[in-house]
Amino acid sequence: MRNSSIGKLFGAFGLAAALSVGVASAYTVKDPQQKYADPGITDDEIVIGLHAPLSGRAKAFGADALDAARMWYDMINARGGIWGRKIRVIVGDDKCSPNDLLAVVKKFVTEDKVFLVNGGSCTHAAVAAQEYVTREKVPFVMLNAAGDAAVFPPTRYVFGAFGGTQRTVGGSLIDFVTKNLGAKKIAYIAHDDDFGASNYLAAKWTADQNGASIVADQRVSRKIVDVTAPMLKIRASGADVIVITTYTGPAALLVKKAHEFGIKMPIVAAVQAVPNLEAFVKNVGSKEAFANFYYGSPLNDLTDGPKQQWVIDWFKKTYNRTPTPFMSYGIPSAMAIAQALHNAGPNPTREGFIDALAATRLNTGILAGPIEFGDNKRDGHNASIFIKYDGAGSTRVPGVFFNRMPLNP
Amino acid sequence: MTNNRLVLVFAVAIVAVLVAVPLFGSIYVVFLANMLLMYAVLAVGLDILLGRAGQFAFAHTAFFGIGVYTTALINNHTGLPFVLTIPAGAAVAALVGVIIALPATRLRHLYLGLATFAFAEVAHWVFNNWESVTGGANGLRFQPQNTGFGTITNDLQAYPFVVVIAAFMIWITRNLERSQLGRRMEAIKESEAAAHASGISVTRTKAVAFTISAAYAGVAGGMYTLFQSYVHPDVLGFDTLVLILSMIVIGGLGTLPGVLIGVVLLGLMPEAMRGLKVMQELLYGVILIAFLMFMPRGVWGFFGPLIFSRSERKPAEDKP
Amino acid sequence: MWTLFIFQGLAGGLVTGSIYALIALSLVLVYKSTHVINFAGGEFVMIAAYLALFLLVAGGLTYWIAVPLCAAATFLLGAVFERVVLTRIQGRQRPGQNVLVAMVIATVGLTYVLKGIIRPFPYADEVRTLPPMLESGPIFIGNVVITRQDIAIFSIAVLSMVALFVFFQFTPLGRALRATADNPRAAALVGIPVRRMRSFVWGLAGALSAIAGILIAPKVLMTPDMGGLIILAFAAAIIGGFTNIPGVIVGGFLLGIVENIVGLTISTNAISVTPFVVIIAVLLFRPQGLFGGRAETKKV
Repeated sequence: MRNSSIGKLFGAFGLAAALSVGVASAYTVKDPQQKYADPGITDDEIVIGLHAPLSGRAKAFGADALDAARMWYDMINARGGIWGRKIRVIVGDDKCSPNDLLAVVKKFVTEDKVFLVNGGSCTHAAVAAQEYVTREKVPFVMLNAAGDAAVFPPTRYVFGAFGGTQRTVGGSLIDFVTKNLGAKKIAYIAHDDDFGASNYLAAKWTADQNGASIVADQRVSRKIVDVTAPMLKIRASGADVIVITTYTGPAALLVKKAHEFGIKMPIVAAVQAVPNLEAFVKNVGSKEAFANFYYGSPLNDLTDGPKQQWVIDWFKKTYNRTPTPFMSYGIPSAMAIAQALHNAGPNPTREGFIDALAATRLNTGILAGPIEFGDNKRDGHNASIFIKYDGAGSTRVPGVFFNRMPLNP
Repeated sequence: MTNNRLVLVFAVAIVAVLVAVPLFGSIYVVFLANMLLMYAVLAVGLDILLGRAGQFAFAHTAFFGIGVYTTALINNHTGLPFVLTIPAGAAVAALVGVIIALPATRLRHLYLGLATFAFAEVAHWVFNNWESVTGGANGLRFQPQNTGFGTITNDLQAYPFVVVIAAFMIWITRNLERSQLGRRMEAIKESEAAAHASGISVTRTKAVAFTISAAYAGVAGGMYTLFQSYVHPDVLGFDTLVLILSMIVIGGLGTLPGVLIGVVLLGLMPEAMRGLKVMQELLYGVILIAFLMFMPRGVWGFFGPLIFSRSERKPAEDKP
Repeated sequence: MWTLFIFQGLAGGLVTGSIYALIALSLVLVYKSTHVINFAGGEFVMIAAYLALFLLVAGGLTYWIAVPLCAAATFLLGAVFERVVLTRIQGRQRPGQNVLVAMVIATVGLTYVLKGIIRPFPYADEVRTLPPMLESGPIFIGNVVITRQDIAIFSIAVLSMVALFVFFQFTPLGRALRATADNPRAAALVGIPVRRMRSFVWGLAGALSAIAGILIAPKVLMTPDMGGLIILAFAAAIIGGFTNIPGVIVGGFLLGIVENIVGLTISTNAISVTPFVVIIAVLLFRPQGLFGGRAETKKV
């Protein structure tokens, strides 16, 4: 085929494409039923787009949390719904990837025409949707993602951190080690990514406030294989406590290496380091390594403690299986959404819902502290408890710890 | 039907689909189309290097990333129209491509592949760690791009521009195929020794191929900023590279229709599999292997000769 | 204090380096005989580790039984993959066409298949390790700390490499394999069953991966994505010259040590990019590696 004809053809359809876009934009007919200005709401139902990583390597963070949220919405429906409307949930798999998450959210908004989006277990993926939901003015309420980059600075349409941000993690860790363990020189190990950057920020601020100093700041990749180098530096730094905010693989390697080096000082880990205590002990390889070991948690009790039983039993009854560690984190956002939908009145709009959600004051019975938003606050939860674990059993350390770093330190 | 008529029919069909998408599809469908068009430019660009010049180079995602960040940053800071920012992104990518090309031309096959792959991973690490410029692991947010008459704020508005850019890049490829440069690349793919003997500057041809390929990736990066609003280094890594590679190999290495078919097939496969949850990875791998086992020359290598009668095919298309 | 750093870094590096060397060996084995780069090498290691986990924990078997079983299983996996998939892709090759890319992508497809098979299992949700082979307990050499497990890993790895070397140099089968790798046509002429040799080599590479997997699992912990280690094996192989077995082994050790040195002197942050920088540096300045002869550029 001759070049000139192809050229003409391309030019022609470029024009046609532009024309069609013009036509399509003009063609956007308003819903015949003008009763509701926003999509996703009718007399009988409210449509919620619910997404989490349901496949791939992050499945463990999201799958059960999403099911827990669904469990909550089903219960609301069983009790008659909200202002007579049932909640209809559309489920999507965001695979913890920014591109996939954005695709799922776009599908929810433009094809499924949901009223609001509830989802996201991975911060860096959830951030991908922020610009889009802001442009489209769609409420985006994260599931169990920490969401630091998307809630600091806060924007109107994005709500998150129902389990606490990474700032919560960093700040409360330092609060704990300085106040309860009397630490003055802290060795800090984090990941070399957005997580690490965010928790370190709050940790440093808190250390300065509490008269302590961070004498070693080691950033490791999530895939690190040999932790000899960071642990050597930590040992040489003269620290009196080690704080670990990595994920569980590197954390186990670090605790193990510390034990090999005969390091005896306390080790305090963030919640993301110890999703499964039994496996963690096996990975470290010895109970003796836990002589002086603590970990933090945003829950109000041990993961299988008495205060958490009602959620676990409920989940087991609903789905006939034992939940994975992060399951109960899925409930607070559903609770907050249902409450805000109610408070927004019998004929809610998206904007009305957002105003109601921003005024949330909620005690979940699951988390260490209340869920609170505000006009300029989009991170919902800020509290941590700490638990001492000796390789066999856990004991809760009394007290609730917070991150006190202001929005702009 | 004669070959020429057949091609005309296909071309008209493609145009029809492209026009139908925004008219009858939801904005989500338009978004998918935007993604596929961007992947088309990426895939065609890699094919120039891999399929036509025969260079096993896998640094493509590095140039893609350079294009994305450059275009987005210039736009974020100056708000210049995209007809300026996208070529700027492509130019920077091409520049880096030239720098890479010079040492790369000394390497072949396995070593070239590994070196360029390592370069892509180093670029990924830089994207992740150079916070002050790329936003690091927090990603980079884009301001809406400027058309000169207004800004683009959604997929529908971006679509016609994405289409035109993709069409333009494909048109260039078509011209490249038939040009002297194209023939030189073909020659060095066949045998560098023979090409050298017949007076072709092997090093220069390779370098040019690298640069052009990088420029394509840079343009694709610019396209990304037109319809997306955020980038995270993870979409600039190994998985994307494998996706593009699979597209061109399964579609048909070295053939334009093949590459485009591969883009559509592999680009839409995740959408089709979205409901399958756990089995996705497994299925993806099985499909990949199955295609390679039964159509090692790609879909186009398999179906092309069936659709287009042999006698009428031009000599250039007759090459295996 | 710096000497302590260096020596400890050396010790740690030798141990992890021995593992890189083992995996690199399986890569090089495959490459030398078939010119295919096995991107699924890391997943072979992963599958072997999970199989061992299953046999040891759920099956209650001992290491003495589990290891040969795992090795046999991955041997089969490699041989079958070669026979069913790769031979077929190569068989459809027309003259003048290069199917190498297709074969390499087939190994990439294999990584998805293997990962996809493991992921649904409940074992795969958590980061795991294998039950300990030996009692733990650090041993001090001067001020440097080593564990018994470390010594075991190092010794077994080195023993395997020596065994492999002996096998290739002194046994008839080994020599036949080398002949097939060097010159398949000549080997066929002499009566060596080339196709069977290829499958055997893939099987052997698989078995090596099993040993590597069982050794490495307690050291780096198991997830379905642990196959990403393969890049370190690539770096080791490149340092060594990719076709030179002793060179590759040295490359592995060097890489393990360099990683630690980088972590100690530059920053822990830079450890993850080290293998890639090493690859680029070696390929730029000495593409044949430290021990390769001339730069190998054979075109298939």
